[in-house]
Amino acid sequence: MRVRLDNIHKAFGHVQVVKGLDLEVADGEFLVLLGASGSGKTTALRMIAGLESVTSGRVLIGDRDVTDVLPKYRDVAMVFQSYALYPHMTVFANIAYPLTVRKTPKAEIEAQVKEVARQVQLDTLLDRFPKQLSGGQRQRVALARAMIRRPAAFLMDEPLSNLDAKLRGYMRAELKHMQHQLGITTIYVTHDQIEAMTLAHRVALLEKGVLQQLDTPANIYNRPANLFVAGFIGSPPMNFIDGSLSAGRFTAPDSDFGTLSTITRASVVAGVRPEDGRVTEPHAGKLTGTIYATELMGDHTLVTCRIGGATVTVKADKAFNRQDGAAIGVDFAESAVHLFDKATGERIN
Amino acid sequence: MSHSPDTRPLLTRLFEPARLDSMAPIPKIATYAALFFWTLVVVFPLYWVLVTSLKVEVDVDSGPFYVPFLDFMPKLDAWDFMLLQNNTLGPYLNSIFVSLTSTLLALLIGALASYALVRIRFQVKLAAVLTFVLLVVGVIVAVAAFDAPWQLAVAVAAALFALALSTFVKRFRAAVGNNDIEFWMISNRIMPPIVAVLPIYVMFQHLHMLDTQFALIATYTGVNLPIVVWLTRDFFAGIPLDLEESAEIDGASKFRVFFTIALPLVRSGLAATFMLVLILTWNEFLLALFLTNANAQTMPVLVAAQNTTRGPQWWYMSVLIVIMIAPVIVIAGFLQKHIARGLLVGAVKG
Repeated sequence: MRVRLDNIHKAFGHVQVVKGLDLEVADGEFLVLLGASGSGKTTALRMIAGLESVTSGRVLIGDRDVTDVLPKYRDVAMVFQSYALYPHMTVFANIAYPLTVRKTPKAEIEAQVKEVARQVQLDTLLDRFPKQLSGGQRQRVALARAMIRRPAAFLMDEPLSNLDAKLRGYMRAELKHMQHQLGITTIYVTHDQIEAMTLAHRVALLEKGVLQQLDTPANIYNRPANLFVAGFIGSPPMNFIDGSLSAGRFTAPDSDFGTLSTITRASVVAGVRPEDGRVTEPHAGKLTGTIYATELMGDHTLVTCRIGGATVTVKADKAFNRQDGAAIGVDFAESAVHLFDKATGERIN
Repeated sequence: MSHSPDTRPLLTRLFEPARLDSMAPIPKIATYAALFFWTLVVVFPLYWVLVTSLKVEVDVDSGPFYVPFLDFMPKLDAWDFMLLQNNTLGPYLNSIFVSLTSTLLALLIGALASYALVRIRFQVKLAAVLTFVLLVVGVIVAVAAFDAPWQLAVAVAAALFALALSTFVKRFRAAVGNNDIEFWMISNRIMPPIVAVLPIYVMFQHLHMLDTQFALIATYTGVNLPIVVWLTRDFFAGIPLDLEESAEIDGASKFRVFFTIALPLVRSGLAATFMLVLILTWNEFLLALFLTNANAQTMPVLVAAQNTTRGPQWWYMSVLIVIMIAPVIVIAGFLQKHIARGLLVGAVKG
């Protein structure tokens, strides 16, 4: 079902955690709330769940205003970072709990639990207790418990962050597949941009309680709306050079290159992603500086250069082999340059 | 496996173990000697009571005799008198009924209270509390000193209280929080019980409830509530909040969360608290002495009554003590595995 946040504010005492959040999640959409810790993303999710009251604004699920509705009447299911499995119940009883409290007939519970357990491959573990399960299995129990009700929306609070890297990758794919199959609106909180990029239909990037950009992963990556988004998405992060723009030509100490823009502005920031740049001989590219450090990452080398006052990191071939301190050039396509206003941080081109 | 002969100096060999998982001779002897000594200290009184219950007056007075059949002939006279001729069963059943009922009640009410204190943030206006106390005092004075009809006094006080709540109480900011409520509960237990005995006695006298099991159960439940709240508080605080929030989203009411999630998770703590409170009520003497007479008398009072004008009747007393200790040992045995078990393992990422 559709989920809508309408100018939501949340304050704990004098601390404003969420400041006027507007968000509309379409039916069946997978929306990721992305942000660093303290960005208000978890608080926003908890307000949708009804675990946190709303200071001002409205929460709508479907067409129903649930702002002051108890969690149990909101028809949402939540997966917690800690999984929150009931340790004194078997896997069966854990998955069945949402139905048990609704006094569903026993036979029906049994059938549904078996069906859901089969979907997440837990059918042989139903008699176990949570402490007898591995991390991945516990995660699947939590998912099964959320799935069994076919709720209006899934709320997930960093559900994968307690898993090891390999399992996380696997569960990510599982989760995406499952959400697609069930077609249930999902709001997923994470601080991991890889999870956000791979899972989401749309990403909502939050910072200090304010929505920075709400768009598809591709657009967020290709056309970041402001300096914060540009710096947050991408690893290693985008390089920024302070300079000025005159008729579309960017100038800064030791750099001078054309962009796709045609405007003139005194104080701008040019951003180039490390993966969009390449190393050249000195004075052969758009920028020229000296090598500050090189890091072999396996399939590529990260070359960090000092250019004027700025530090620019470029992805180079894994065979890259030059001395630190040597002169070096950096080149990139004009279309790879992102321009931002220095004062407001907003995107220019 | 063969070990090479120990070539260390004698003192080292005596004081330091040869392997990591063994003990050196001297520490071993010292440890077991200490344990043996303490076992004697703990077990001997029990043994002495058991043996004394098998003696008759002459065996006690011309003693001490330690070993049955060698020092003296054990006889069942005291058992025969206490169990078959004397009314011991009445107080025994009273003790069992009163202590079990009041312990379970205290545990239920106390657990609900401590759960609320842990999970709900209370902000009671101090002005409201003070007004309430003043009005209660006013009602008592009006009824006791001026013979006002109590219904009228209570009605007037309630009206005044409602008025106070809606007017000046709102202006005061000072509030009583969870910590204050908790401290107030514990402070009831700091007061010496003897201070409260007479008022409680007079109260039940006026209610015509002296010497009833109800009076004892009500008093014991009230007296032990602070202990239950105090002990179970940390158990509830230790439950990850995620579990309860998850249950709420899954559709459970607060009461359901309490009974199906919180309570089962603290059952080891509850078992320990149950044990402690049960023993406290089982052994309680002072209140039972004042509040009971013939009908509701409990075992501690009966035991004390064996100290008669003819001097203490040790053999009868011993019989009573043996049958008083027995059920506690049995219950402790049953609950031991609960008390020891770590229940929260596996709740969150392990």
